[in-house]
Amino acid sequence: MAIEMIEQDFRRKVCAQIRLEPEGVGRYRVFTPFRFDDGDHLAIALKREAGQWILSDEGHTYMHLTYDLDEKSLHRGTRQQIIANALSAFAVEDREGELMLAVRDERYGDTLFDFIQALLKITDVTYLSRERVKSTFMEDFRAFVEEHVPETRRQFDWHHPRRDPEGKYVVDCRINGRPRPVFVYALPNDNKTRDATITLLQFERWEIPFGSVSVFENQEEINRKVLARFSDVCDKQFSSLTANEDRIARYLQEALREDLS
Amino acid sequence: MPVLLSDDEIQRLINEPKPLPPNYHLRLRLKPKRGHKEAELDFEGVYRSPFRLILRQSMRNPLDFSVILAYCVPQTNIIFRLRRYNGKSHEHTNKLEGDKFYDFHIHQATRRYQDAGLREDAYAEPTDRYADFHDALECMLANCGFEFPPNPQPSLTFFSEVFNHGN
Repeated sequence: MAIEMIEQDFRRKVCAQIRLEPEGVGRYRVFTPFRFDDGDHLAIALKREAGQWILSDEGHTYMHLTYDLDEKSLHRGTRQQIIANALSAFAVEDREGELMLAVRDERYGDTLFDFIQALLKITDVTYLSRERVKSTFMEDFRAFVEEHVPETRRQFDWHHPRRDPEGKYVVDCRINGRPRPVFVYALPNDNKTRDATITLLQFERWEIPFGSVSVFENQEEINRKVLARFSDVCDKQFSSLTANEDRIARYLQEALREDLS
Repeated sequence: MPVLLSDDEIQRLINEPKPLPPNYHLRLRLKPKRGHKEAELDFEGVYRSPFRLILRQSMRNPLDFSVILAYCVPQTNIIFRLRRYNGKSHEHTNKLEGDKFYDFHIHQATRRYQDAGLREDAYAEPTDRYADFHDALECMLANCGFEFPPNPQPSLTFFSEVFNHGN
């Protein structure tokens, strides 16, 4: 096909897919071929307001995004930044959730292209959504301890009854029946590791005698500095539960038999 | 997107009886957000499947709404949309069939669209079973295995008032 024919085909196909349909006085539905990922097309109305024509999504774009995302998450962090950039780049106004662009100097086509580009950029925020499989690590840890430590020798979610009645400094599992109890921590992420560091330091400050052991979900994913600080205060660490079940079981058996000090 | 549910599993979830909690009408009160109103209700079917009813309506255009029945896939953050009753505010194109329409329409989850790497509910059919938000919700409740709690049950008028909250 000659390049002129291709160009004509482009024009015919693209132009044919943009049309208007009246919807009341001074108001038209604008149909375009541009779509969300579920096959729904962008919602665009052309309406007359205060003597000028404006393009509006009538709140549809944000509403559509909230099928997958919490509305609040659109207004913070990276998503907020992407949206702000898109609005700014194409001079689109966000009027309480309704996205609007006024047609100036009778540049209807340019305005429509700008508006469409802004809406499409905003819909990109859905790609920041990650489908996550919820970790079963904490449940697995608990089941593992229940299997290897008799009920009379363990206490989950222990905190010091006198010094910490509100439970600010919690131990995932305390192994009892020893002169020096063992505090066992299950650590799935940086935050929990930081909390465990603070908790162990607090027990040191209170001069409580104890031994400590930690089991990471995946130690390689812990921030280096967070891990370094934790390593200074914890006696024994296992890099993961699944790869060390035998070793952890042996360690717990020994802890039940003797004072590890 | 990986395939999550077969057509049989989708249909089984839709058919699973879904008793509405006694105060469901209060929990489904639409609350104004930026440019739209919304409400959500998490509940379990009789076989303990976790579901979410999601309601959305534009504050500028009453014909722009969505009534969604979703399945909350256990052990994940995935909200799998089984059915979505949409208003008439935009065109819809079924990418695999190539057809396009501008009407009230019902999205339905299919294995075919998941296989093609598209959104699970990217297939939709036009409908004349409702023409506004309230009727769309009634259709959803009637068609997707919902069971109303024993009395006291709110009248439809009351129900309607609840859903007009935030106008």
